[in-house]
Amino acid sequence: MSEMVLTTEGDRYVVVTRRFAASPELLYRAHTEPALIQKWLLGPDGWTMPVCISEVRRGGPIRYEWKDGKGGGFYLTGEYLELVPFSKIVHIERMHLPEPTPDNHVETRFETDNGGTLMTMRMTLPNAKTRAAMLATGMEHGMEASYARLEKML
Amino acid sequence: MELADPFEMTQPAVSRHLKVLEDAGLIARRVDGAKRPRRLDTAGIKAIEQWLAVMHKALAKNYDRLDDVLADLKRTTSRGERP
Repeated sequence: MSEMVLTTEGDRYVVVTRRFAASPELLYRAHTEPALIQKWLLGPDGWTMPVCISEVRRGGPIRYEWKDGKGGGFYLTGEYLELVPFSKIVHIERMHLPEPTPDNHVETRFETDNGGTLMTMRMTLPNAKTRAAMLATGMEHGMEASYARLEKML
Repeated sequence: MELADPFEMTQPAVSRHLKVLEDAGLIARRVDGAKRPRRLDTAGIKAIEQWLAVMHKALAKNYDRLDDVLADLKRTTSRGERP
């Protein structure tokens, strides 16, 4: 397990870096193959992704649908802009909450690092309205779940 | 206008920058006759910090799960299978 670092770059971008004990090829596959994406891109505990479309070609569509297990959920659509196996994925995505949020431009890079992989993901910092919509949907449940877990621990 | 004075920028250019800050929730604007006074929106700044914290938590959880997915993949690919 490795420490994830999340920072802002200027006032427009969020940059996330993390190291993994696997090759860039496996990282690339886990980010592009639906059966693999559905296992980890889930956010808070209890969420699932019953629908995952990822057509790995330039202009190929992306669609992720999440369910919170309590009747709630939301979906995301997007397109691949650039794919360089196994080092770079550029795509745009928008969440439907249910109004579509402005396009988020995401660039994900995988570099060999000490026998593993350094991942760097750069995405657009969403505007205030989008952030509020995100907090009001799934991620807030995530916080509630986290607080509930914290209470149990205390 | 007063905010534009110290900068070597046109007033419309300064207004565009202010619009970015306003959309980001960092400053707030009110209407006072022909003036549009701005103030720092501390609630907006706190909201960004909150969003970053929530985002950090959600992504960290995803990547911890991804560690497990990668470990499984390594096992299956080393046996020459695809999951």
